[in-house]
Amino acid sequence: MKPSLITTHPFGEAYAKSLGVAPWRGHLPGPKVEEWRFTPLRNLAKIAFAPAAINVSVDIIPRTVPVIQGAARLVLVNGAYRKDLSDANLGKGIELSHGKVPAKEGSSLIALNAAYAPASLALHVTGAVKKIIHIISIGAAEVAPAALHPRITITAETSSSVTLVESHVGLPGETYFSNPVASITVGEGASVRRYVSVDEDNEAFHLATSLVKVAGDGNYEAFHLGLGGALTRQEVRVALTGENANVRLNGAYALNGTSHHDITTVIDHLLPNCTSSQVFKGVVDGESHGVYQGRIHVARDAQKTDARQLHKALFLSRGPAIDCKPELEIYADDVQCAHGAATGEIDPNHLFYLAARGIDPETARDLLVEGFLADAVNEISDEAVRAVFGAAIGQWLKLRQARPS
Amino acid sequence: MAATRETAAAVRDVEQYKYGFVTDIESDKAPKGLNEDIIRFISEKKNEPEWMLEWRLKAYRYWLTLSDEEPEWAKLHFPKIDYQASYYYAAPKREKLASLDEVDPKLLDTYKKLGIPLLEQQMLAGVAVDAVFDSVSVATTYKKKLEEMGVIFMPISEALHKHPELVKKHLGSVVPYSDNFYATLNCAVFTDGSFVYIPKGLRCPMELSTYFRINEKNTGQFERTLIIADEGSYVSYLEGCTAPQRDENQLHAAVVELIALDNAEIKYSTVQNWYPGDADGKGGIFNFVTKRGACRGKNSKIMWTQVETGSAITWKYPSCILQGDNSVGEFYSVAITNNRQQADTGTKMIHLGKGTRSKIISKGISAGRAENTYRGLVRIGAKADQARNYTQCDSLLIGDKCGAHTVPYIESRNPSAQTEHEATTSKISDDQLFYCLQRGMTQEEAVSLIVNGFCKEVLQTLPMEFAVEAQKLVGISLEGSVG
Repeated sequence: MKPSLITTHPFGEAYAKSLGVAPWRGHLPGPKVEEWRFTPLRNLAKIAFAPAAINVSVDIIPRTVPVIQGAARLVLVNGAYRKDLSDANLGKGIELSHGKVPAKEGSSLIALNAAYAPASLALHVTGAVKKIIHIISIGAAEVAPAALHPRITITAETSSSVTLVESHVGLPGETYFSNPVASITVGEGASVRRYVSVDEDNEAFHLATSLVKVAGDGNYEAFHLGLGGALTRQEVRVALTGENANVRLNGAYALNGTSHHDITTVIDHLLPNCTSSQVFKGVVDGESHGVYQGRIHVARDAQKTDARQLHKALFLSRGPAIDCKPELEIYADDVQCAHGAATGEIDPNHLFYLAARGIDPETARDLLVEGFLADAVNEISDEAVRAVFGAAIGQWLKLRQARPS
Repeated sequence: MAATRETAAAVRDVEQYKYGFVTDIESDKAPKGLNEDIIRFISEKKNEPEWMLEWRLKAYRYWLTLSDEEPEWAKLHFPKIDYQASYYYAAPKREKLASLDEVDPKLLDTYKKLGIPLLEQQMLAGVAVDAVFDSVSVATTYKKKLEEMGVIFMPISEALHKHPELVKKHLGSVVPYSDNFYATLNCAVFTDGSFVYIPKGLRCPMELSTYFRINEKNTGQFERTLIIADEGSYVSYLEGCTAPQRDENQLHAAVVELIALDNAEIKYSTVQNWYPGDADGKGGIFNFVTKRGACRGKNSKIMWTQVETGSAITWKYPSCILQGDNSVGEFYSVAITNNRQQADTGTKMIHLGKGTRSKIISKGISAGRAENTYRGLVRIGAKADQARNYTQCDSLLIGDKCGAHTVPYIESRNPSAQTEHEATTSKISDDQLFYCLQRGMTQEEAVSLIVNGFCKEVLQTLPMEFAVEAQKLVGISLEGSVG
């Protein structure tokens, strides 16, 4: 076996046979693959995943999914669209369809998704969509470990606009592996806002890939929240393919137990006058592991690029690990690019300041953690979503306090 | 127009590599290629003890198992090296000289051309020079004075005979034979290098220095340097390199090991201006170097300063292992690449002890069609309480055909440790250039001035003798890159 590939995994012939489709002939990335050096897939490959059943009985949406007032709701259970759980009154300027999954090859995980995804949830945006579209992906393995491959395609036509919220959750039961792929095309002058929350079951695996293309004068704003799962990764690749395109990519993670969360971003500046900014913040507790890898690539032609990137992580206890790799790859000279990264713990002076004002240590820590993550959360431009995501972090802190330390 | 032509001609002249000449000295050469016999030959030539040969062979056998593991992760592109097409041993004919008078006059002349007249340098600069010419150290100066103080400064081949216990104890203790592809190769075939031992409590009164020079055509140079600073001592070591012009690529895979015990401090400075190849990327040195220092003792300090302007390809990561509590590692680097040069360089700071601190200042300048990458690792171990790291990487791009990349790795396992990383990329602003030109400077003077300002923080850390040379080099390296 080459250390760059994991060739023994459960997604081969037998997996395909039980679905009645052609098998995926690829391999999972191994520990020697640079992009996966901090997120090993050894344990994932050892579990005997079978295709997740599409007709699982799910009556209610799990409580961990935030309620967003006035939003249209599209629900996927084990990757398949569930009309019975959805409220597909999307309003004007947007159409829902269930397309075929494009068999385009990309990374091995995209190819794995393409091989086994049931159908693509496709949204075609033609105008200014008023309602927030809330996509909920539920993983439900009942008695045996199961894998699901949700696929979402969003196409925003010229000058259209839409706001999406994506919640990835799971039902208690056996472990599951969610392998979602989202393809997003932002047309000329269009604007897409996408807020993703990953709050999977403690035992679950979640390896998401987002492929985003932004045309000239287009705007893409995204926020990626990571709150749990045994091993989760949110990989976002954005290509700026027109002039004056703008991307704002932000996120936060809060981890405890033995959770592993990986944020990997690649921003490809291909043409002049584009801007990109990234703010990622994370807190780690217990024995958890936070990873941030961010690459900014500025092509020869991408003069006048303005690209910024920031990652800060905070330790809440002794035991967690943080790995960080912010990367600049620059081939144009007239550019402004900067990145920053820092790790540390809560400043005892700050704690003292609050304690001196009669605030108990636990509350003081929570305040400081919330304040720390707020720098990233405040980048969310939609007020309602900002409140909902802020509340989810507040809830995480409450649960943390409730646990015996 | 005439003026333009004149300038162009002048630039061409300067651009011709100043130190590109081959000294015609007969060499004692081993046959081409690499196998166990060659290693035995090298070992025998040097009259080495049995354990040394065993160690070399162990490294060589291990190296054979690495054949598909030549590092590929660096942002470097070069044709695959045929390790069988090189000579692994070449020594100037005459050995064992009693005094400088016996040094081949041609050799002395070579140094003169390089601007380092050995004799004058001793007198004027107070620098003891251990000059490595190809693979055998031919002249070691100021030895006596240093010897009286208990300083050991000699070729490593000599130290093997005179101080075998010291060499045996420390050789390979920082960079083990199994460390990486190039270091393993070096273990097997290294020919010579410097050995330094500073006794307890001594502040070495002079800068120790070595000039490396690759001379014999087709000879890979495999230096091995080992510096040990005993408790409470201090030493500053200088390394400077120039190489003659040549068309074939030459491999240079050196290993440098530093060991600092309690309260000791080692300052290691390098100015590297080996032949970078011509404007089309033909020729030039492949510089694949493993440099690592271990801060073994508490409060020890290792400081690396490098000015890298030469070589076609640079693969080099001078590192610090901060084992002792409150030990300090520092890395200051200026890397300049022009024409078709490629550099992938940076550092590793491994924090293991409590209260360890590290600082990384890296300035990368890329011009022409060059590629310049900073790659660095800061790792904080679980026991490194209150460790502190500060990293700053700035890149400057000159022209729109070059590339500048920053790849830092930060791995933290301790909550009380603080790490900070900042990086920026920019170009020389038109305002700055205009300001200088308006005051009567030429474009090249202006660039040299601005770039020197950009690197000032690093150049300041160099010892006096080097600082002047380095400033000139910065200017020379970038000539012809603007306009």
